[in-house]
Amino acid sequence: MSNDVMAEIQRDYLFNLVLKGERADGRAFDEFREMSIETNVIGAAEGSALVKLGDTQVLVGIKTQPGEPFPDTPDVGVIITNAELIPMASPEFEAGPPREGAIEIARVVDRGIRESKSIDLKKLCITEGEKVWIIFIDIHVLNNGGNIIDAASAGSIAALLTATLPAARYDLGEDSQIPMRDIPVAVTAIEFGGELLLDPSLDEEQIAGTSLTVITNTDGSISGMQKSGAEPLTVDQVIRVVDMAKTAAAEIRKKFLEV
Amino acid sequence: MSDKPEHFIIDGKRLDGRNLDELRPIKIEMSPLDRADGSCYLEWGNNKIMAAVYGPRELHPRHRQNMTRSVVQYRYNMASFSVDERIRPGPSRRSVEISKVSREAFEPVVFTKFFPRTAIDVFIEVLQADAGTRTAGINAASLALADAGIPMRGLVSACAVGKVDGRIVLDLMKEEDNYGEADMPVAMIAGGRITLLQMDGRLTTEEFYEALKLAKTGCDKVYELQRQALLEKYGDEHPVDAEDVSLEGDTDEQ
Amino acid sequence: MERNIAVPGDVLSDNIRASGSGTYIHEGKVCASVYGLVNKGERYISVIPLAGKYIPQASDRVIGIVTETAYSNWIVDINSPYEGLLHISQYPRRIETEDMSRYLKVGDCILTMVKDVDAGMKVELTLKEKELRRLYDGRIVTISPTKMPRVIGRNGSMVRLLKSEIGCGMFVGQNGRIWINGSEDRIELAIQAIRYIEAYAHTQGLTDRVQAFLKAKEKTRYSRIHESRNSEEW
Repeated sequence: MSNDVMAEIQRDYLFNLVLKGERADGRAFDEFREMSIETNVIGAAEGSALVKLGDTQVLVGIKTQPGEPFPDTPDVGVIITNAELIPMASPEFEAGPPREGAIEIARVVDRGIRESKSIDLKKLCITEGEKVWIIFIDIHVLNNGGNIIDAASAGSIAALLTATLPAARYDLGEDSQIPMRDIPVAVTAIEFGGELLLDPSLDEEQIAGTSLTVITNTDGSISGMQKSGAEPLTVDQVIRVVDMAKTAAAEIRKKFLEV
Repeated sequence: MSDKPEHFIIDGKRLDGRNLDELRPIKIEMSPLDRADGSCYLEWGNNKIMAAVYGPRELHPRHRQNMTRSVVQYRYNMASFSVDERIRPGPSRRSVEISKVSREAFEPVVFTKFFPRTAIDVFIEVLQADAGTRTAGINAASLALADAGIPMRGLVSACAVGKVDGRIVLDLMKEEDNYGEADMPVAMIAGGRITLLQMDGRLTTEEFYEALKLAKTGCDKVYELQRQALLEKYGDEHPVDAEDVSLEGDTDEQ
Repeated sequence: MERNIAVPGDVLSDNIRASGSGTYIHEGKVCASVYGLVNKGERYISVIPLAGKYIPQASDRVIGIVTETAYSNWIVDINSPYEGLLHISQYPRRIETEDMSRYLKVGDCILTMVKDVDAGMKVELTLKEKELRRLYDGRIVTISPTKMPRVIGRNGSMVRLLKSEIGCGMFVGQNGRIWINGSEDRIELAIQAIRYIEAYAHTQGLTDRVQAFLKAKEKTRYSRIHESRNSEEW
């Protein structure tokens, strides 16, 4: 049975909670669920991270290999981000090529990494016009407990921070780390009952009209935003989300120092 | 990459120190995923496998429904980052074949007649591969199916046998799989009946018999580990007094 | 210590006449067909599954959620691989098909009964029995249907215990859904108790455990009220 129709009673319950300033799991509106990040979990990958955010579990694998640069940017490396919402992660996910949900997640995570210039792509050049490092970021969602995107983003960054460029394997010199200059962090809020809630759980996601993901950098600047969903947001709401995101991101960034 | 070892067996030991009839270390974790109806995470040597089961559940599209029983669907998939050279996401001809023979390994075992018009979906994700992923997948799938409460005749246990340096060995590792003379994955159920059998390479009839015998001892060992994992899941609590668990709960008196 | 847990394929008995639910017969032996708890009854040996979906049977009382209004049927999610059909004629009053959504619309919760299940698993529901009705207010909790017997208890004893000790209204559907009504904190407590039962469903002495659990919860509640009263005075 699809989970699409939520009982009216359940919807009312969540709505009334929000009116009282509460959430079903007792969190504050601007509070994240517990997040754990474990890196180097997949030896076959050059970098990897398993993120658990509440019940959501996302595994990110980084594969790095030399390859041809894009013709119009012959002296920089290439980042390719892909997300798989594999069917085991939720009754709603179907097997098959990525559809709009997975594509959106991949592109938003990619945007955050690319626009923040967190990877110095020029340093990934091996031989201009011929050979550069290609970094594949593969996001594999194992269990959907809500807010995949923040977990996927955190996993991608953690995996990148601990990933290697296996130069020795290709006779290109010594192995090295991927040159990361910044730690962009994605924070997603949903709008519900006029309120803004960070890190939506699965139930909250289902009833929310719309979500807004904001990716911020260490200096508080914004390197990515994505509004997702059909309901409109006011300017005030957008500004508030940006504020909340900056604060929450700073907290989450501390976790990366431990990986 | 020409990494073919000169010898695979030296003084009765294989390249990773194992005896000819020894399995690699196996670790099992039950129910790691909460959305799936049943799930199991299994490590076999360096293989890392996640198995999940959804079902019985509605089967779409309708024309695929069977009016008299449930349809078992099995999807074996390798994550892009699971091997040295990144794999493009999506099914390959190899994964489609593995999915088919794995599904067929379970079809005689699952009591599908209890759930007409539904599907029982088995998902195997190889998160890290190191030879023997299809058999590791089948072992994890058995546990995930049991975890989901799917009625079955028994657990399916699988392992691969092969031939290296002219000897029949149990549970091929990567080098043995790549450069050996034969590779034969086998899945069995109680009573020594075989539900999956494939062979790649060359064996004489005698070698085949020997390999099959060795496979049986391997599957028996795996079965014990699977059984142990299921028993341990509810290990610490005292089992319930049978009388308390009546299925005739009286809903009228409320 | 011998465990009562069976794994599919475990041989339970030589007496094929004792084959109960959760078992099957193979070559003269009774074997477990599900992963669950072995139940050695007087005449039958059965295995009670630790997990599994709700499969509807006639006369089951269940809690459903309306998902669709089709031509003359409401389609109802009964937490099963099979959906339930509530025909317009099974509504307690005579209504016209054009008016269907006025009485029951998508998202509404109902206490309903399974009238009939045919061989193709077409499930017919009805509202034309005592107590069956649309549910308003309250909360719905979903647990594994295999644990329902423990929430109900022998002859309804556990449900009665929960209702009286907690002071709430409760209806336990066979399909793993439980409806609870009452004040906010009573509902919270009931849900905690249900989650507790779910976690310890496979253990002995559950009734005592639940009573102790509820007493402990009441104690902390009173001491919190006491504390807040004191701080107010101050």
